[in-house]
Amino acid sequence: MKQPIQLTIPSDSKYLKLSRTVLNHLLSFHEIPESLIRKLVLCVDEACSNVIKYGYGGNCESPIEISYSIDEDQFVVKIRDYGKKCDVQKIKPRHLDDVRPGGLGTYFINEIMDSVEYCTESEKGTLLIMTKNLRSAFSQSCTNE
Amino acid sequence: MSIDFKTNENPNGVVTLAIQGDMDMNSSPQVRDQLSSLFKKNQKAVIVDLSGVPYIDSSGIATLVEGLQWSHSSKNKFRLVGLSDGVKDVFEIARLLPVFETFETKEQALAGV
Repeated sequence: MKQPIQLTIPSDSKYLKLSRTVLNHLLSFHEIPESLIRKLVLCVDEACSNVIKYGYGGNCESPIEISYSIDEDQFVVKIRDYGKKCDVQKIKPRHLDDVRPGGLGTYFINEIMDSVEYCTESEKGTLLIMTKNLRSAFSQSCTNE
Repeated sequence: MSIDFKTNENPNGVVTLAIQGDMDMNSSPQVRDQLSSLFKKNQKAVIVDLSGVPYIDSSGIATLVEGLQWSHSSKNKFRLVGLSDGVKDVFEIARLLPVFETFETKEQALAGV
């Protein structure tokens, strides 16, 4: 699937389910194990939630542009927003021994994806690029089972 | 795209909150409100039935962690029941499964409270 699938949702949390549904269907077409689909959907959902919360600061009317591509077992998600630039220095997943509400979203993303890159060179907003090698993730999940 | 709740209180002061729908950034504040009002009523135990929850994100997990903290301060029990594979996966990634009391069935969750 060299042609990326693109979806733009408003920065309103009620549309998160829509983006989850689209990604779920897309990954199902590629016969990816259900457990891996769930993890990838979680990562995209957490990234979009962060854009709504921090990038746009709760403004519900701004665009979140999501693009999915799968090429040679490489799953790539790009999430573009035009809000406050992401301060990469401040993104610190919290220590798991510290049982308290909050701070888990970034941990999930870093734990599940192979690479996570925040591009802030544009005048406005952030482009987040997350990648996952599906073949190695699939072999790993088969080994674990 | 909504979330529904059903509460059921037994004569022993144990209340079960059954949640129906995804627990995400959109719905977690509603779950928090429900839990907060149950803890304010000082129930003996709060059991959260998650069998109707197909998806949970970090905000949903955070809400349940908050419930757990309220239960510690009020010295009431807080139990989770009916975690789907998807929900269990997220608890496992967060390594929070051992922190909660989790049960397969409502009968098991109600036992010994």
